[in-house]
Amino acid sequence: MRILSAVQQDPARTNSHGDGDHVAVSVRGLRKAYGSLEAVAGVDITIPRGEVFGLLGPNGAGKTTIVEILEGHRRRSAGEVRVLGFDPERRERAFRELIGIVPQEGGVDPVLTVREVIELYSAAYPGPRPVDEVVELVGLEEKSDERVETLSGGQRRRLDFAIGIAGDPEIIFLDEPTTGFDPAARRRSWEAINRLRSLGKTILLTTHYMEEAQQLADRVAVIVGGRIVSEGAPESLGGRAAGPALVSFRVPKGLAAEELPLPSDVELERSNGHVSFRTKAVGRDLRPLLAWSWEQSQELDGLTVTRPTLEDVYLELTEGEGA
Amino acid sequence: MTERPLRSDLPLLGRWTVARLKSIRRTPRAAFFTFIFPLLLLVLLNATSNSSHVTVPGGEIAFDQYFTPSMAIYALTVACYALPIFGLATARDAGILKRVRGTPLSPWIYLVAWATGAILTGLAAVVAIFVVGVSAFGVKLYPELLPAAIVTILVGAVSLGAIGLAVSTFVRRAETAPAIANLTLFPLAFLSGLFFPIETAPQWVKDIAHVFPLSHLVEAFEGCFSPFTTGSGFAFGDLAVVAAWGLAGLLVAVRRFRLEEDAEEGSGRLRALVRRGALEGN
Repeated sequence: MRILSAVQQDPARTNSHGDGDHVAVSVRGLRKAYGSLEAVAGVDITIPRGEVFGLLGPNGAGKTTIVEILEGHRRRSAGEVRVLGFDPERRERAFRELIGIVPQEGGVDPVLTVREVIELYSAAYPGPRPVDEVVELVGLEEKSDERVETLSGGQRRRLDFAIGIAGDPEIIFLDEPTTGFDPAARRRSWEAINRLRSLGKTILLTTHYMEEAQQLADRVAVIVGGRIVSEGAPESLGGRAAGPALVSFRVPKGLAAEELPLPSDVELERSNGHVSFRTKAVGRDLRPLLAWSWEQSQELDGLTVTRPTLEDVYLELTEGEGA
Repeated sequence: MTERPLRSDLPLLGRWTVARLKSIRRTPRAAFFTFIFPLLLLVLLNATSNSSHVTVPGGEIAFDQYFTPSMAIYALTVACYALPIFGLATARDAGILKRVRGTPLSPWIYLVAWATGAILTGLAAVVAIFVVGVSAFGVKLYPELLPAAIVTILVGAVSLGAIGLAVSTFVRRAETAPAIANLTLFPLAFLSGLFFPIETAPQWVKDIAHVFPLSHLVEAFEGCFSPFTTGSGFAFGDLAVVAAWGLAGLLVAVRRFRLEEDAEEGSGRLRALVRRGALEGN
């Protein structure tokens, strides 16, 4: 039986920390082809240690393929991949001791209890996190002595999460960690993920939820058709921080929009008694209007200043893809 | 270099084996097929046999003296051979093997824990059947043959376990597992004299049966409960065949067992995409 593990744990590992110890994940020119389909078509990713990195994209964009290549579950067709200095493809035990995986669909023996499952899976790691702490971190205290088969879908997902972090790994892969959660359960998971972040763990997560990416990720990359089409902090993605803001308010009763001190170089849009315009100089363009409002003691009902949300940017980037 | 010393792997093996045993104990299906069904057959057939006799090598013995060791082997075969085939295929389908693959656990620990759990369960069933056989039907145990009986059942348990693991590597989906397990188990069980002695069967039936390990195991074990057996009761020839099959099974299992294959790419979504891509390519 030793033969088998020797094959899987090739001792001739070349652990060159080429990117330096501060880089957790380094991916260059990653490609993965399935027959004629190129699921990943040349992707570069660098994730510093301690960062929460989000992969966004429609179904079938290649998110899971990338994550599973980084986990060592799949072989790449081309490119360079380093995770914590290891080549995941070699699947060395020392590598597997450092990573935690929360797969999209992961099975557990249904007749074991939550506690038994967590103890079982954490036992293989050199320094596992205490089981009580793990149970508490994912909020399954009340279910810890119940069998897995009695858990709800959301609780099952939290157990997946628990198993992923039970070994106290350095890097955690979360593949759609909160899909199918109710809002309360999602908040709870976000808290747990934020606590892992505060412990300095590196986290790579894929998600469909823009709010989740916004809440959790330091940086996100949007993947479409196996390529990264945009990358950056969630607040600046697609240049939305620098883009124009939309100013909108209700025109006071008995007045026409032309009677208000509106900027002259913008295009006014009217609908439903509201007037709106886009501007890059929000302060300059709002000041006369606010001064007028103050002088006339006339409220500007429904005044909002908005920028494109992450979701707007995302939808624009992934337009035409079956999200 | 990355290999841990064996001493830290052994407690791990212990943990996973205990988890297997817990899982088997809590799964009604396993309890039914391993314990209840063979016991039921034993009780029913003994009750309806009306103290008839069957022909074994050397002469005739009471039906229950033949049928009790027979059902013990049957229970052992179900526990060590059939249930792991089904269980491992189910675990693969459910994504448990893939999850294990992502942890530092060595595949061999997982596999040996499965086999050990199955073997211990099988041995427990053998004991249970003999407790009923001896207490309810007065099955005779011959003290001088007991060491041979114990060695025979141990060799059988380990070999059947290894063969079961080997066969499980050919089962790709859980839904085909019961068919494969039953289609290999039942014909052999009949041919090997588990349900009726094959002493009086045509020679060609015996010839076919003797290719496979089960008939040798049955004969070796039955001999340990036969009044006509002389000496220590060790049927070394039969045991050698059983052990050889077990060894072959072990080699196949070690060579073929993977927690999850990269070749079996992906989620349904991805497979659908690949298909779509292939279609578009045409």
